[in-house]
Amino acid sequence: MCDQCGCHIPAGVGNPLPEKSKTVTLTVNQRLLAANDEQASINRRHAEGQGAVLINLISSPGGGKTTLLERTITSLDKELKIGVLEGDIETERDAERLRAHGVPVVPLTTGGACHLDAPLVYQGLRRLDELFGGAGCDVVFIENVGNLVCPATFDLGEHFRVVLLSVPEGSDKPAKYPRAFLTSQVFLVTKTDLLPHFDFSLEEVKADALGVNPGLFILPLSATTGAGVDAWLHWLKSVVEGRKQLHAARKQ
Amino acid sequence: MHELSLAQGLVKQLLQLATEHHADRVVKATVRIGPLAGVVVDSFCFGFDAVKSMSSVTRETILELDCPPAVYRCPACGWEGEVCRPANVLCPGCGIQGRTFPVGDDDLILQQVELEGDDETLSGSEQKEGK
Repeated sequence: MCDQCGCHIPAGVGNPLPEKSKTVTLTVNQRLLAANDEQASINRRHAEGQGAVLINLISSPGGGKTTLLERTITSLDKELKIGVLEGDIETERDAERLRAHGVPVVPLTTGGACHLDAPLVYQGLRRLDELFGGAGCDVVFIENVGNLVCPATFDLGEHFRVVLLSVPEGSDKPAKYPRAFLTSQVFLVTKTDLLPHFDFSLEEVKADALGVNPGLFILPLSATTGAGVDAWLHWLKSVVEGRKQLHAARKQ
Repeated sequence: MHELSLAQGLVKQLLQLATEHHADRVVKATVRIGPLAGVVVDSFCFGFDAVKSMSSVTRETILELDCPPAVYRCPACGWEGEVCRPANVLCPGCGIQGRTFPVGDDDLILQQVELEGDDETLSGSEQKEGK
């Protein structure tokens, strides 16, 4: 043992401590996600500078995010300029599915990470700007990595967080995975065309989700049959309109 | 699994603080993890131990955690307890059957650090408020 300070490094090998050392205790009170959150604020301002609404879509794998986006793009591509940042752990399959609908898509392949973070989204936003040729767009969807847990912790700079839960997943999920529902503003119950085939209670899912987050706006829909989709599109158009008015007011 | 990203962020923050204050080592870091932070504490500690060894400044850092337990509340009468009551059990407070909901904060905060360094160059001998 070291004879100067009692550390485990044998005497004579070299003491890592300076001869006269002291310790100080600092009160820091800094969030662990401070760096991510600062970048998220930059992302938000970046989108606002172009009058665009940023929407972060969160669900488990297979929750219906890509199908909802396909339906949304097909329904609104004449009214709104839509861009997509497509998060996936591997492959560009979802990005290709959406590109087939003629909208600019930037794949964000995390290569293993279970969530998107604000710095990665910023890179995506810059690349999306290039695809739009500097003309900007009305709404950017960030399709997060399929995961109902980890993405809920990371602010990407979105204006709205939308959580999706599909009927086959079961109506107990808002109670079991509360954070995604706690941090979202909109909750879409997807694949409602499958309700007759599953033991899924819309009443239970609504009560549980509102128990976690009383301000949650809940919309059940089926992107396959189109049931309930109009309400979603209406909400989307209204937030885009709201953002446009805010953007115009700021410019004056 | 995002606990590893959080641990990486913490080590980066610690290294930055050590540089700012001319410290040679970070002795201790105190972190508060709120019950709704969505963090598995064991995974976070495992990640921190893996990442901290990459720098001599943090290699020996002791992680001190403040993790208050989640509290569950009955929406009908406000009864609170530390166990999540399933939907088919009666509330001990009001006797109404129904689920309890978690309440609490989602803080993820580096509260305090203890730095060690040369007597003459180490700065921050006074308690200093963070950014």
